[in-house]
Amino acid sequence: MANANDKANCQGTVVKRDKFIQLKRAWYKFSLNKTSVIGLVIVVAVAICAIFQPWLAPYPHHAGEFVDFANVNCPPCKEHWCGTDGVGRDILSRIMYAFRGAFTLGLGCLALVVPFGVVMGLIAGYHKGQWISTFIMRVTDVFLSIPPLIMALCVCAILRPTLFNSLLAVSVSWWTWYCRLVYSMTSSLRNEMYVKSAELTGASTAHILFREILPNCFGAVFTKMTLDMGWIILTGASLGFVGMGEQPPIPSLGTMVADGAKYIPGQWWISICPALAIMIIVLGFNLLGDGVKDMLSSEE
Amino acid sequence: MARTILEVKGLKKYFPIAAGEQKGKVVRAVDGVDFFIREGETLGLVGESGSGKSTTAYCVIGMYSITDGEISFKGQDISMHSSKRPLSIKKDIGMVFQDPGTTLNPQRSVKQILSLPLSVHKIVDKRDPEEQLLKLLEEVELPAEYLYSYPASLGGGERQMLAIARALATDPSLMVLDEPTSALDVSVQAKIINMLLRLQKERNLAYLFITHDLSLMRNLATRIAIMYLGKIAEIAPTETFFSAPRHPYTQMLLSSIPVMTEDEDALKPKRVVSRGEIPSPVDVPPGCSFNTRCPFVTDGCFEEDPAMREVGTDHWVRCHLFA
Repeated sequence: MANANDKANCQGTVVKRDKFIQLKRAWYKFSLNKTSVIGLVIVVAVAICAIFQPWLAPYPHHAGEFVDFANVNCPPCKEHWCGTDGVGRDILSRIMYAFRGAFTLGLGCLALVVPFGVVMGLIAGYHKGQWISTFIMRVTDVFLSIPPLIMALCVCAILRPTLFNSLLAVSVSWWTWYCRLVYSMTSSLRNEMYVKSAELTGASTAHILFREILPNCFGAVFTKMTLDMGWIILTGASLGFVGMGEQPPIPSLGTMVADGAKYIPGQWWISICPALAIMIIVLGFNLLGDGVKDMLSSEE
Repeated sequence: MARTILEVKGLKKYFPIAAGEQKGKVVRAVDGVDFFIREGETLGLVGESGSGKSTTAYCVIGMYSITDGEISFKGQDISMHSSKRPLSIKKDIGMVFQDPGTTLNPQRSVKQILSLPLSVHKIVDKRDPEEQLLKLLEEVELPAEYLYSYPASLGGGERQMLAIARALATDPSLMVLDEPTSALDVSVQAKIINMLLRLQKERNLAYLFITHDLSLMRNLATRIAIMYLGKIAEIAPTETFFSAPRHPYTQMLLSSIPVMTEDEDALKPKRVVSRGEIPSPVDVPPGCSFNTRCPFVTDGCFEEDPAMREVGTDHWVRCHLFA
């Protein structure tokens, strides 16, 4: 038996190698779709800008309270690739600083929304037909019936408009999408024979929800997370645009677009450049999300 | 004679039809079934599709709440749904389903699958949990290196062996096998059947074996019960069942088994030709449910449903011909 044990241990390393091969195969599938690779490149580039902003931004001190009346409303040129704004701040630097806020918003929101929504969806889906499920799903419906932007505006108007509060505001209604997604998956997965057989063995509900059902929902949830990053950043920018996001002087993409809007069409770069930045982020995450979806769906 | 471990009395399971043209009616999937299983024996529950044999199995393991009747296991009443059964009962009854592709979670490794029943019933060997799992694999003739694989990398027969190992993990005394080989290749079937026979001998297991394959039962079963429209038509020891079948339905089934040689053909009952199809369990014919297909049908068959009568040792028939 000791022999068999050694064999199994040695097989453990083989499995690790198999996992690596699987990963390589997944990457190959992902890389087949060139647009999703472009998406990945965009997302990684934006993430690098967000993380290493003090070293990458050409004028890091322009992100704060800085005024340079000599360089006001300078159009895009060699020194200022995206031009300068109404008080002479370099727009490219400010966009790069705003990336960190946008990423924090997206990741923070997902960190709040995904665990909560997924757990709610698991509970509601597994107990479909019972009062607890009806209760959770009706609450979900109430939140879904209010447009997320309006909901977020209300929350931001009640609380002070800061990055953290807009993160909360977006989260308040966003969890419902994960709840619905996981609910529909769970309510069909609970009839799978492997779930039935775990029930017959006497496994606890927690085991069935988190060890039997959840791993089978993971692919769909992960795909939605990737796609949602873009949408959350867009919603955050919309909040910023109406003045309910991060407050000046801290740069935020939505606020920058709003500030520049009054100079259009003369000084178009003040608002078009951050708007393009928003577009690139959202595009990047959407392309990446599509690639992830293809990769995970073809794996089954 | 060995102790009776499972006894089913008057088991009924009706499914209400919730929607559609036949709304309000009920499907009489199982309609008054009595049988028992003794320690270490195999009861083959045979029937056409729609006869209620799988429903009977699911009632026994508690996957369905029963409509009426009584199920007792080792003298203990287990008529309730599995969620209300004590853990000790779940430990003592193992279940193997038809399609191993759907009963094993694709996201869980062999190790995780086999560990679940052990940890739920707190019988993990703390000193060497891995060896315990390897022993289980060895018992079902699976190589030790499969411990870290996932069901997707196993073949159909290997998956069914894994499902059997999972059912064996808690060391049950009764195993409910719902067509365990019908989804597999014939070559693999033989291997699984031989393994089940060996395990039965080693562990003194009782099997409730659900199948539609009569010829399979010839080598496997101690006794055979034939189900028709939710009722047992005939129940007899295997030898008697094949040599002296009494119920017209049994005779019809036995005469429809395809054979290769004339010798085999000589063994079959000649006179009954199969005709018709099993009626819907929603509209069960009045009187004897077999009256639409029976060649010996009389007027009485349309009026009264026959009761089970003992015609020999352990040999029971539900037919007016033996009144």
